[in-house]
Amino acid sequence: MTPGTHTKPVRRLSRAAYWVLGKFGGGVFVLWAVATAIFFGIRMIPGDPAEAIMGGPGSQASAEALAQARADYGLDQPLVVQYFSQLLRLVTGDLGTSYSLKSPVAEVLTELVPPTITLAVLSLIVAWIIALFVAMASIRSGPVGRALASGLEIVSAAVPHFWLASVLIMLFSTSLGWFPPVSTQSATGLVLPVTTLALPLAGFLGQVMRDSMLDAHTSAFALSARARGESEGGVMLRHALRHAALPGIALSGWAFGSLLSGAVVVEAIFARPGLGRSLLSAVTARDVPMVTGVALLSAAAYVIIMAFSDLAERIADPRMRAS
Amino acid sequence: MLAAPLVILSMQEVVQLIHARTLAPRVLTTSAILVASLILAGCSSNPAPAPGASNDAGTPVSGGTLVYASGDAEPSCLDPHVGGNYPQALASSQYLETLYTKDEQGELIPWLASDSTVSEDGLTRTVKIREGIKFTDGTALDAQAVIANFKHLLDPATASSTGYLALGKIKDMKAADSSTLELTLSTPDNSLLESFSMPWVAIQSPEALKRTQEENCVAPVGTGPFKVESWKKQDSVNLVRNADYVRPVANPEHEGPAYLEGITWRFIPEAATRYAALQAGEVQIIDNAQPDTIAAAVKNDTIKHLDAPRPGASNRIELNSSKAPFDDQRVREAFIHAVDVNAGVESLFFNTTKRSYSPLSSVEPLGYSDESLFGFDPAKAAELLDAAGWNERDADGYRTKDGKRLSLTFPVSTSQSVPAEQSLFEQLQATAKESGFEIKINLLDLSSWYGALAEHNYNLVSAPYTKVGPSVLSILFHSASTVPAPSGYFANLSQVKNPELDTLLETAGATKDEAERKDLYAKAQKLVLEGYYLLPLYDQQNHFLYSSKTQGIGATTAVASPVFFDTWLSK
Repeated sequence: MTPGTHTKPVRRLSRAAYWVLGKFGGGVFVLWAVATAIFFGIRMIPGDPAEAIMGGPGSQASAEALAQARADYGLDQPLVVQYFSQLLRLVTGDLGTSYSLKSPVAEVLTELVPPTITLAVLSLIVAWIIALFVAMASIRSGPVGRALASGLEIVSAAVPHFWLASVLIMLFSTSLGWFPPVSTQSATGLVLPVTTLALPLAGFLGQVMRDSMLDAHTSAFALSARARGESEGGVMLRHALRHAALPGIALSGWAFGSLLSGAVVVEAIFARPGLGRSLLSAVTARDVPMVTGVALLSAAAYVIIMAFSDLAERIADPRMRAS
Repeated sequence: MLAAPLVILSMQEVVQLIHARTLAPRVLTTSAILVASLILAGCSSNPAPAPGASNDAGTPVSGGTLVYASGDAEPSCLDPHVGGNYPQALASSQYLETLYTKDEQGELIPWLASDSTVSEDGLTRTVKIREGIKFTDGTALDAQAVIANFKHLLDPATASSTGYLALGKIKDMKAADSSTLELTLSTPDNSLLESFSMPWVAIQSPEALKRTQEENCVAPVGTGPFKVESWKKQDSVNLVRNADYVRPVANPEHEGPAYLEGITWRFIPEAATRYAALQAGEVQIIDNAQPDTIAAAVKNDTIKHLDAPRPGASNRIELNSSKAPFDDQRVREAFIHAVDVNAGVESLFFNTTKRSYSPLSSVEPLGYSDESLFGFDPAKAAELLDAAGWNERDADGYRTKDGKRLSLTFPVSTSQSVPAEQSLFEQLQATAKESGFEIKINLLDLSSWYGALAEHNYNLVSAPYTKVGPSVLSILFHSASTVPAPSGYFANLSQVKNPELDTLLETAGATKDEAERKDLYAKAQKLVLEGYYLLPLYDQQNHFLYSSKTQGIGATTAVASPVFFDTWLSK
């Protein structure tokens, strides 16, 4: 950095501004793409939206009732008109009214976001703790320990959520009676769903973390730190951990997305209220506004989290700032 | 930009889950049990029956909240007038009551009504409404209130399907006095009182019905032993005791309000979780109990089983007679002798149900049954198929005629056919192959399934139909039911078009003579059975499992939904 030149800060500011603008523009594009894909996608699967409004397929609703519903929801207009009027509504922040819940989508989402976020954030934290713990422990335990840890991680990363959930319920709820199999007023109801989401994720995170931790552990700077008299624990905490965290942070953005999709399965199995479960019932009910709302919200959350994990990576890794 | 894959991923998982919900139970119960039992070997066994649990009921105690766990989809509206499906009937049976109901013997009895008469020509139906009954908002029940309900049901804006159909023949209605309702019918309808016993035609406070649909859906107001306190969507409906409840038909053994303080009505879609919640004591009663679970549960002293088959039609496979190959009666008969239903029912349903040989449910007094028509007889099937010209076999062993394979399309709704039933269909597929039938089973979600039916893209189909009384036969087998409703659905899935049958059904539905009604409906059933239009399987399954500490369970409405007025929780 050369002091005295006044052009540099300005250029850096504009670079940051470009970065923000780029992220924002990309985000808007993604939201538009999602809204468009959902709008046309849901019309390609069989099922009349007017029937969905009238209480689902096979409702045997009368012709008048169907016609009324079509008029009320603007379904009698040409598809293109419907598409643009929906985009217009979305731009103004109006997510419409859910066909199956008969209440404004925005209202429903506000209610459903907190339980899903709680579930996802807790799972992410637990996954990080498990992954770091296993990675650190296995590095010290030689090739056999590493192979064992790696094997466990691969298995847990490959386990499907619905299977893991059922095993956990049979083990810890039915047989041991430690935790309830469904959501309850107390926090104990969160243990099994969080574990279900966290274990596969910890497998993924652990794999990448241990590799980079091992690289750092055996690298020249770790050697020199040891030469300076740094203890093994100090090397681990001050140097290896930082390196291990990098791919972890990069993956966390992706992980959050996978947690949201995992929530669909986990919320249904553990009977928890949340975005995932309502997405599942909305798709089954052909509830277009609700599906669009949940998808847009997840996409927006994902865009924001990716931007933050990008930012966190830049902070943790000086090399990225330099380049 | 990786956001799009996220959404696609989550949609993929949704689709996977929809399939997983049908496949998962089988995979799960085998693999999960394996793993759990491996880990648990030597760890601990199932908890012993609680010492307090006893089978003798004792004296009922008041208080406590019952937690009910439903496996059905959460209703979008708690008012069963809107739409009208079984999940709505289950919930609303606690807070709404009907004009008529069925007693323990299955006899139709007046409930909110006290009596009913019909004119000589069958076109004027007079219904006396019970006096002194109040809705939970304080409004009195009278003839005008019933009229307001019927108008609500017939209003297109309500979008009633089930209730709307039930009242279809009412042309005009008026209150002769405050407790006398006079209905003018377009044609005589002897099933009207049976229709009045269905929760979809339940009577609500006329004042409450004046609210917007959105408001009424969240908290309908009735006369039942409980009332809706709150509804946390996607979680539970909170019902509290109606302290002023007056049972329309007095019961000397239980006067006053319900024993329970309230009911928490939860939605737990996964069958395994639901059962685990019952075992863990988180809930006291679960519905949609599956055969394997029931078989395991009855071995356990702490859990009891309530089997309440639904009225209306039996569960059956319909043979689409409007197109090849089933337009030939010999091929229909051959198919019925080519599949071994009993072996499948025995192995997959663990003695939780009986085989049916009738188009009607075993709880329908006018059901007609003929076991002799449905024997498993591959030799006879072969003979019939040879005679019908399907006498060649292709490389895969399927029969052919003029180079065309004897192939049947069978769309199956994964939300209407439980896993055991899907497995049964797979077994039928295997036995039918021996006789040279190819069955193509398509597992579909509900909307796609209705889509396939609307396009006539089926040879075999299984569709439940719940209704009180034998008039369901007209819905299923009258030629008028082959004409699609505006939604594209038609109930006559076997596509029987027989003028003789139409006349039988019409006369049976109009006659005032009960003996004649029985005789005509028996003839109609005989006709469809002997025409091999359908393959009856068993009653429409409706199983509940409940904790043995929950006493006084068993009373149900006319559509077999439980009523918890007499229920109490022992210590």
